[in-house]
Amino acid sequence: MSENWLLKVQDLSVHFHSPRGVVHAVDNVSFEIKPGETLALVGETGCGKSVTARSILRLVPEPPGEYASGKILLSQDQDQSIEILSAPIKAVRAIRGERISMIFQDPGKALNPALTIGRQLAEVFGEHRMDMILENAGIEPDKASRADKMIAQQRASFLQIRLFSLLRSKKGKALQKSIDDAVARALADTGIPNPRKIMKSYPHELSGGMKQRVMIAQALACDPDLLIADEPTTALDVTIQARILELIQEMQKRRGMAVLYITHDLSLVREFADRVAVMYAGRIVETGPAVDVLASPQHPYTQGLLGAIPHRRTPRGQLAAIPGSVPQLVSPPAQCHFASRCKWAAEACKSVVPLLNSTETSRKVACLRFDTAEKLSVDIGDMPARAEMGEVAAE
Amino acid sequence: MSGTTGSLAANYGVETDAVVSLNDIKVHYPVKEGVLQRVAGQVRAVDGVDLTIPKGKTLGLVGESGCGKTTLGRVIAGLVSPTSGDIWMDLTVEQQRDVQRLRNQNEKDFSEQDRQLWKQLTTGNRLGSMSREKQREYRRNCQVVFQDAFSSLNPRQLVRDIVGRPLRVHQEASGEDLNRKVIELLERVGLGAEHMLRYPHQFSGGQRQRISIARALALNPAFVILDEPTSALDVSVQAQILNLLVELQADMGLTYLFITHDLGVVQHMSDNIAVMYLGQIVEYGPTDQVFDNPLHPYSKILRDSNPSLEGKRSDRDWELSGTVPNPIEPPHGCRLHPRCPVAAAGCGWSVDDVLNSAEEKTPIIFETITTVERRDDFNAEVKFRDAEAAKSFATQVKSSVANLALDRPPELKGESVKLSFNEVPDASIQQIQDGRWTSCTRTQELGALPGFEKDKG
Amino acid sequence: MSSVSKQNKKSQQEKSRTTALSVKWARRREVALEVLRNPLTVIGLVIIFLFLMMAAFAPLLVEPNQPDPYQSPRDWSNIDAAPGVAGHILGTDSTGGDVLYGIIWGSRLSLQLSLTVVLFTLIFGTIVGSIAAMRGGKLDNLLMRIVDVFLSIPELIFALAIAAVLGPDFSNIILALAAVFWVKYARIIRGEIIRVKQADYVAAAKVVGDSQWNIYRKDVLPNAATPLIVQATLDMGNVVLIGATLSFIGLAQAGLTEWGALVSNGQSGLLAGEWWVSTFAGLAIVLWALAFNLVGDGLRDVLDPKTEGR
Repeated sequence: MSENWLLKVQDLSVHFHSPRGVVHAVDNVSFEIKPGETLALVGETGCGKSVTARSILRLVPEPPGEYASGKILLSQDQDQSIEILSAPIKAVRAIRGERISMIFQDPGKALNPALTIGRQLAEVFGEHRMDMILENAGIEPDKASRADKMIAQQRASFLQIRLFSLLRSKKGKALQKSIDDAVARALADTGIPNPRKIMKSYPHELSGGMKQRVMIAQALACDPDLLIADEPTTALDVTIQARILELIQEMQKRRGMAVLYITHDLSLVREFADRVAVMYAGRIVETGPAVDVLASPQHPYTQGLLGAIPHRRTPRGQLAAIPGSVPQLVSPPAQCHFASRCKWAAEACKSVVPLLNSTETSRKVACLRFDTAEKLSVDIGDMPARAEMGEVAAE
Repeated sequence: MSGTTGSLAANYGVETDAVVSLNDIKVHYPVKEGVLQRVAGQVRAVDGVDLTIPKGKTLGLVGESGCGKTTLGRVIAGLVSPTSGDIWMDLTVEQQRDVQRLRNQNEKDFSEQDRQLWKQLTTGNRLGSMSREKQREYRRNCQVVFQDAFSSLNPRQLVRDIVGRPLRVHQEASGEDLNRKVIELLERVGLGAEHMLRYPHQFSGGQRQRISIARALALNPAFVILDEPTSALDVSVQAQILNLLVELQADMGLTYLFITHDLGVVQHMSDNIAVMYLGQIVEYGPTDQVFDNPLHPYSKILRDSNPSLEGKRSDRDWELSGTVPNPIEPPHGCRLHPRCPVAAAGCGWSVDDVLNSAEEKTPIIFETITTVERRDDFNAEVKFRDAEAAKSFATQVKSSVANLALDRPPELKGESVKLSFNEVPDASIQQIQDGRWTSCTRTQELGALPGFEKDKG
Repeated sequence: MSSVSKQNKKSQQEKSRTTALSVKWARRREVALEVLRNPLTVIGLVIIFLFLMMAAFAPLLVEPNQPDPYQSPRDWSNIDAAPGVAGHILGTDSTGGDVLYGIIWGSRLSLQLSLTVVLFTLIFGTIVGSIAAMRGGKLDNLLMRIVDVFLSIPELIFALAIAAVLGPDFSNIILALAAVFWVKYARIIRGEIIRVKQADYVAAAKVVGDSQWNIYRKDVLPNAATPLIVQATLDMGNVVLIGATLSFIGLAQAGLTEWGALVSNGQSGLLAGEWWVSTFAGLAIVLWALAFNLVGDGLRDVLDPKTEGR
C-alpha cells in the first residue's frame, strides 16, 4: 500500500438498460478515499452519486444495471486489495457490514417495521460480532462449542427459536444478556438517552432523528473502515441535522473510520468533509479540498451551484440560476455534458470530453479552459480568469 | 404581565392593508379510539394563530415538520375549515383596527353604530359569513402552488387543460381564447406554446413547478400561497423558480405567503417572517431583524442550526433537548419550555413535564411509578413502588429547572411525592419592540432574548 | 411537437383543438402498443377474438336449431357418439345433442352472461363506491357495512342460493351473479378514490373553485379507474366460470347449450369412457377464463399507476 488508500474507484462506468436506450448513469468515475478521511460526493438529482455509492457495495440491481467498466479496490492487510466488482458474491457480503456499511436517506424505510429496535440490532451483532458476544457471556470464543454458538445465534435472531437454550438455560441467559448489553451499548454510543426503552420500541414509535441514530448504531456495530452516508440528514428537521452530522463526525474520530457522504447540500460539505468531488451528469467535474473548492470553485458548474444557493445578501430575484436542465443520459454524445448550460461553452466543448486534470496540488477540474484551451482553440477571452472566478464565488 | 390578549396580535401589519387576517385560528383533529370510535383527544394541528398578511409583500412561514404550517396554509386556501376562529379578507388598516376593537368586546355590549359596523365587516370581509359572490371572489384571489409538482398536476390531463382549467371554471375563456390565454400564461412562466399539448410526465421537476405556477396565475390572483414550492427541487432549478417568483411578484403586484422549512430560502425571499412551533406562532417580525436578533429561543436555535456556507454554526450551546411533545397534550405556558435551553420558573411547568423528563432521563425510576393521582395538570401525587425511588425522584425534581416553578418543594412522604406547581397561563404572542412579536415570556419580561447563563435566580 | 412551435400562432390556434385530440389518441395508442408488447396478452386477445367471431358467426358455422337455437338439435339415432361419428365432429351427448353445436352456440350465451354481469356490476359498484368515498361519513359507513355483509359470504355459495331461490333459468343465473359481483367493484373504487382524493391535484382543483362533480369526473375517476378496468377484464372470465358452475349443478334450463350444462351432461358418461362431452365443453370454459385472465394481467402491468409514464 504505497499510496495509502482505503478505497480506490477506477474508471467506474455503470449503465442502466431501459426501453429508451442505455442510460450512462456513471461515466468513468475515479476517486480514492484514504483511511480516516471524509469525502463528500456532491451533485444534484440524477448525477449518479447514489449509483456510485451503491456500486461500492455492489448494490446496483443487475439487470437493469450493469457495471460497464472499471474497478473498485478495497485495501486489505499486507498490501493486498480486493476488487469488489469481480469478487465472488460471498466475499462481497463479508465486506458489507464488516468493512463498509451504509446509512440511508430515509431511516424509516431502512428499518423493519415489524421488529423492535432491539431485535434488529441483535441480529446484526449475532451475524458479525459473535466473538464479542461469547466473550462477554464468559465463554472463550476459541473454545466455544457449536451448541454455544447456535444458542447465541438463535438468541440474536429475530425468529427466537429456543431449541438449544431450553437445554442450557443458564448459558442461554448469559448470552442473551451479553447480546442485550452489546445492543444497549451501541445505542448509548449514538447519544440515545435511554437505550433499554428504545430497544423495546418499534420503529414507528421513534422520531426521525432517533431512527437515524439507530441506523448509525447498526451501521457502526462492526467497526467498519468506511461508512457510506447517503443523504443522511435530508429527511430530518434542521434542528436535528447538525446533531446527526456531529455524531457521525465524533464516531469517525473515535474509530478512525473513513466517511463517504453522498449529498446535494454544499453547506454540509464545508463543515463536515475534508475533500469534495462534484458530480454532474455521471461524471466528476471537480475535486479538491472542501474548503478550497467552496472558496474558489474552478468548474463553471460548481460555481453555478454555489451561486444558486439562496442567500440574504443576494438581491432578491437575482440568484445565479443555472439555465436549462440536466441532459438526458441515454446514449450521451461525447462532449462536456455541461456545455449546453455553460456561459462559457465553446465549440470545442461540444466535441471533446474534458478530462479530470490537475490544476493545483490536490485539485482537479474537468474543464477544457483549464488545460487544453489553446490547443483546441477555445476562445477564453470572455471567460473569467481563475482568480476572477474565485472572487465571484467569494462575494 | 399586561392584559393584552392573543387576538390583539392580529395587528402585526397594522401599517399596511392586509390581504388576509387570521383571528385565533384553531384546527383540531379528533383522535378516535376503539370499535365505537370514541373521541379520545384532539390533535391540535393549529392552536390559536393570529396572523396578518400584508398586501404586496412576502410573508415567510417557517417551522419544522409537524408544526402546523402546511395546515395553516390550507386553512387560508380554504381547503381545511378551521375548528374555530375567523378569516378576514382584504381589510384596510382602518378596518383591521375596527375588527380588533370589536372582537375584544362582547357582542351584546355593542353600540348601535358598532353593531352596524360589525355587520358590515362580517358580511363583507369575513370568510363564511360573506356573500357567495364575495366567497367566489376570494377563491379567485387566493391561489396555491403546492410542494410536490408531481402530485399537484393531474397525470391524465394535458397541460392546456391543467392551466386553462381555472379560466374554464370561472368562465373567463373558452375555445380559441382559452388557448391564447394558456400560451400567454406559459410564456409568462418561461415555457412556450409547444408545451401546451403535453402530459405532465413529459416535464422535469422544475418545468412542472412552472406549470403549477402558471395555473395559479391564470385568474390573476392578488395573493398566492406557496407551500414549499421548491423543496423538491435541486438547488440550480430552485434558483430559477425563486427568481421567477420574484419577477412575477414585481410584475403583477402579488402577495406571497411562503411556507417553508428552509431558512436560506425564506431569508432570501420574504419581507416578514412568522416562526411556528407546535401549532402556534412564536415569533413574528421583519426577516432581517428576526435573523440578526431573534427574540424567541426557538428562532435562534432554528437560525443557528441552519447549515451555512460561511462561518461555523454559531453558538451551538443552544440546543433543543428531547423530542417534539405530543400535539394532543401540548405543554402548558410556553410550548417550548420542556426543550428550551433558557427555560425558567415562569415558563409553564406542570406535572406532565416532570414525568416526561423522568421517563426520558431515568427510565428505571419512571418504571417504578405505580399511580399518579392528579388534582389537575399542576397538582398531583406520584406514588412509587418503594421509598427509595420516590426519594431519588424528588431529588431529581429538585435539581431541575422545574423545581423553581414549584409552589412549594416536592413533599416526600414514604412512597409518594406530592408536586404542586404554580399555574401559568398559556403564553401569548406580544409586541415587545416596534413590529417585533414574540411569545417567549422571558423575552417579554426582559425586553430582549435571555442569555444562555443558566442563572436560575 | 417541435414542428408545432415553428408554425405561426394563428394557424396553431386553429389546429389546436384537433391536435389536442390527436395527442390524446397518440397517448392511448402508445399504451395499447405497450399492452401488445407482452406475448401472453396477445395470445389472450387472439383467443378472445376467436371466441367473439365464433359467437358472431354462429348461424353461419352451424345451422340454428328451430324454434330455439339455444337448444341443441337432437340426433336420437346417434346417442353418445364418439367424435367424428356420423358427422358429429366433437361427438354427441347422452341426449344426442351435438357437442360442437353446443360449444358454438354456448359461446353466445357466455358472452351474453359475462357482458351483462360485468357491465351491470361495474356501473352499479362504481356508483355505490363513488358515493361512499366522495360523501364519506355515516353514508360511507353504512354502504361499506352492507358491502362487508356481501363479502363475508363466498361468491359461489351466495350466487347459488339466489339462483336456487329464483328457480332454474339462465336469466336467473345472470341475476344471481350480478347481485354478487358488484360489491368487489364498490370496494375497489372506494379505496382508490380515497387514495386519489389525497393528491394535490384534487386540492388544486378545489382551490380553483371547481365543482365536486367536475373534480370527480376529471380528476378522481380517471385516476382511480385503472384497477377497475383490470378487475372487469378478469371478471369477464370469472363470471363464465361461476356461471358454468351454476348450470353444472342444474340451475339452467334442461338442454340449454351452455358450457357448464354441457359439462354436467357429459359427466355421467365419463366413467363409461365417453370423455368428449365434458372435455370439450370444459376446454371452452378454461380457454375463455384463461384468455381474459391473460389480458387482465397484461393490462395491470401496463396500467399500474406506479409504473405508468416513467
